[in-house]
Amino acid sequence: MKMKKTDIGVVVFMYAFCAFFYAYSSKLSAGSKTYPLFTITLLFGLTTLYLIQMIIAARKFGVESGVDKVFAGFKALQFTLSLVLTIVYFFLVKYLGFFSATTIFMIASFVYLKVPLLHSVIALVAINLLIYLAFVLFLGVRLPSGILF
Amino acid sequence: MLETLQLMGQGFVSALSFMNILAMAGGVALGIIIGCLPGLSAAMGVALMLPLTFSMPADTGLIVLGAIYCGAIFGGSISAILIHTPGTPASAATAIEGYQMTLQGKAGKALATACWSSFWGGLLSCISLYFFAPLLAQLALKFMSAEKFWLGIFGLTIIAGVSSKSIVKGLMSGAMGLIISTIGLDPIDGTKRFMFGQSFLAEGVNTTCALIGLFSMSQVFILAEKEIKKRAKAAKFSDKITLTKAERKKIRPTIIRSWIMGNIIGILPGAGASIACFLGYNSAKQFSKTKEEFGHGAIEGVAGSEAANNAVTGGSLIPMLTLGIPGESVTAVLMGGLIIQGLAPGPELFTKHAAMTYTFFAGFVLVQFFMLAIGTLGCRGFAQISRLSDAILIPCVTVLCVIGSYAIHRNMSDVVVMIIFGVLGYLMRKFDLNTAAVVLALILGPISEKGLRGALRVSGGDIGCLFKSPVSWVLIILSIIGIFSPFLMDKFERKVAGDENVDAAVQDETLS
Repeated sequence: MKMKKTDIGVVVFMYAFCAFFYAYSSKLSAGSKTYPLFTITLLFGLTTLYLIQMIIAARKFGVESGVDKVFAGFKALQFTLSLVLTIVYFFLVKYLGFFSATTIFMIASFVYLKVPLLHSVIALVAINLLIYLAFVLFLGVRLPSGILF
Repeated sequence: MLETLQLMGQGFVSALSFMNILAMAGGVALGIIIGCLPGLSAAMGVALMLPLTFSMPADTGLIVLGAIYCGAIFGGSISAILIHTPGTPASAATAIEGYQMTLQGKAGKALATACWSSFWGGLLSCISLYFFAPLLAQLALKFMSAEKFWLGIFGLTIIAGVSSKSIVKGLMSGAMGLIISTIGLDPIDGTKRFMFGQSFLAEGVNTTCALIGLFSMSQVFILAEKEIKKRAKAAKFSDKITLTKAERKKIRPTIIRSWIMGNIIGILPGAGASIACFLGYNSAKQFSKTKEEFGHGAIEGVAGSEAANNAVTGGSLIPMLTLGIPGESVTAVLMGGLIIQGLAPGPELFTKHAAMTYTFFAGFVLVQFFMLAIGTLGCRGFAQISRLSDAILIPCVTVLCVIGSYAIHRNMSDVVVMIIFGVLGYLMRKFDLNTAAVVLALILGPISEKGLRGALRVSGGDIGCLFKSPVSWVLIILSIIGIFSPFLMDKFERKVAGDENVDAAVQDETLS
């Protein structure tokens, strides 16, 4: 199997992850850092093993991009918007309250994803009702209330 | 013996309380809905529903999660039969014969076969749960600090190796999870570790938030990156969802064979329902007196696949409940549910918490009856739900992820953790890393750490103490086997799936 260029990113991420935690572990006492150092060494060793596997694969079979496979059919705009909407929703919950934020988030998502009006209304009512019954009434969770309710 | 029988009886009495019956019915219905939706998986459904079980008694909470698990495994067959798209990978083999039956106007018959076989597969799997679980728990009594450390390592090698395309990548995922598990206060001396000034991390990364993020939120991102397509219309059918006496007799040997195979596969850590369904289908074909019907809507094919995948459920609970080794993603999430209730897998479940455990077992038996009833009566309705567009699922699941993680401590910080793990889970899935290994590492990490440091403290820092007992060596050998088992499993899966010439479209849909 050919080496995928995308795996270089995985290896870099893992080394960075190890380095980050290793740097932080220097501040810990000897007893406290025994186990974290064991786990960091384990990840470092496995990542190095994977790197060696990649080099062998590159020499034997060549190199391929891998991006086309990893992101086949990737809808960048749709994905980004979903991610942004989720983050905006998180802040809206804090400032507008849970139910208002949920309603705005769901309407915005349905409009963007072109969900028929009737389906949108049913889903919106069903989710809000489900959350009210299950979390507010059954579990007694006090949901964040913002400037609206 | 008498005491065990008494506990079993009491378990049934407790399981038949109004609250537990409601939990079974609701859990099964929810599980079937999740299972029949091709975008959602059993692990994701169980993770999403974990927060709802917090305030429930432990037995009821576990019954809900078990009911969702069983319901989801069966639910996958509805879309497999009616729209030729398995709701979960566990029903991939069901689509082969099930959809052929639908094309012949026998959809009702195919659904009835799926219901009946799933019921018997699941019900019979409970026998091994009752029989083997207490025995294996006795073995766990022998585990001291060093053995607990190796048990953690064994659990990780199994799940990291088997569920990943690359063994090293799977192990890397597990190691990453182990590092994350060290965040929070030191379990021995209480020193702050990797908390980055955030007090909410004192108890470590919340496992439930991580579970919801890694399994449910990441799935939202996976759905959001793909083009949203209209699902095929579920085939309308007018035939009755019943089986004749002759048909039941015909599929009986198939069900028994599939039960045995599915159950063994369930007990083996690492193998799961997706392998079992093909194995069940394969054996049904091999032993059939009417082999020529296969590929053209053979009732035994549906029975073989469905009985086998549901027989996995009871078996898969055994290593999880007794040794704390979940063999696949769903049981890893279920173990999270167990720990959230303040219970630890192992012998205590059969001594100190025996009443709760046997109520859960009895609930698991009764869940199969609910699955048969709800599945048979609600097939037509569930068929319509299986067409629900991803465009509706994306915002709905997001909202449930947010509320689920918020409800744990009523704290928005948990939502942040869930979103971070959602993004991490998405990237991990894109780059063939293993999210289940991270979850397992989060659960097993603290147990392993206590085991390692406990053993080193007793031995005065001598690392040789980890290699002294025979049980340690057995676990070390099993860990090595665990690392290499993917080669065998891969060959095995390819063989059983390849033999059947599975429709490429079905395979693609399943794997995606």
